[in-house]
Amino acid sequence: MTKQNTLREIEKKAYMSYHQDGLLDIFVGLYAIAFGLGMIADKILEFGFGAIMPAILIAIVLPIWIEAKRKITMPRIGFVKFGTRGSNKLFALLLGLAVAGLGVFMLFGVFLATGQIGRPWWIEILFQYGMIWIGLGSAVIGSLFAYTMGLKRLYGYGLLTFALFASGHFLSIPFEYLLLAIGSVIIASGAVLLVQFIRRYPLPKGAQGNVAQ
Amino acid sequence: MMHLYVVESADFQFLQHQTGMTPGNLSSHLRKLEDAGYVEVTKEFVDRTPHTALKLTRKGREAFKEYRRNVKRLIEKLPE
Repeated sequence: MTKQNTLREIEKKAYMSYHQDGLLDIFVGLYAIAFGLGMIADKILEFGFGAIMPAILIAIVLPIWIEAKRKITMPRIGFVKFGTRGSNKLFALLLGLAVAGLGVFMLFGVFLATGQIGRPWWIEILFQYGMIWIGLGSAVIGSLFAYTMGLKRLYGYGLLTFALFASGHFLSIPFEYLLLAIGSVIIASGAVLLVQFIRRYPLPKGAQGNVAQ
Repeated sequence: MMHLYVVESADFQFLQHQTGMTPGNLSSHLRKLEDAGYVEVTKEFVDRTPHTALKLTRKGREAFKEYRRNVKRLIEKLPE
């Protein structure tokens, strides 16, 4: 193994040990479930839950995730600040996703605008295979995050999402139920990771864990 | 040094997990690196608990780069 490879391995080990606690998975799963429930409530109560749910969830879930990281992960493996290299890569990815999201909203705008006067054939195809496109988009986004963050299980989540949405298209399963299923699988996977993490890194005795001896 | 080279900063506990060294052993290594001016130790309070952050100084990073260059040159000179 070359020196360069050894350094990469060490960097990867440091990064992975900080993100193998399953907390990210649990909160992403919760997000998917809450979003699905919001859509179901939307149908029952005819209130715009679906539209406001993502913003509400980010405002609630993000501070809880940060606090959980501070209370569960940091006391067990200590504190580390990674350099800006990874953050820049992640920022570029998030910016790309934001632009892609804006593009999707614009596309929906086109859908709505052309709804009254008849849609072009390609929009019809997008509509007809909407679930498959969403699944494919999720798989691509999952893979991008997996590549950027170096977390291989995100490839699996992306593939699972694609498989579920594709089968949902052919079996006519409503979108919100698929979200509930995906969220449950991701939470279960996160819970397993969290248990493994807690077993692998028990709390150090006393409060001297992060103090230089 | 390698473990501090790949991050911006880390605390004692994190380094102990990464290196697998005993607290006494790691502490003695860090003290030597601190004395050489390669590692900077910052003591602060996080959530009302004492927290010791360790990071490589500019001198430490340069020294590690130089060490890498030397090892690389040495390996290149070795016969196949």
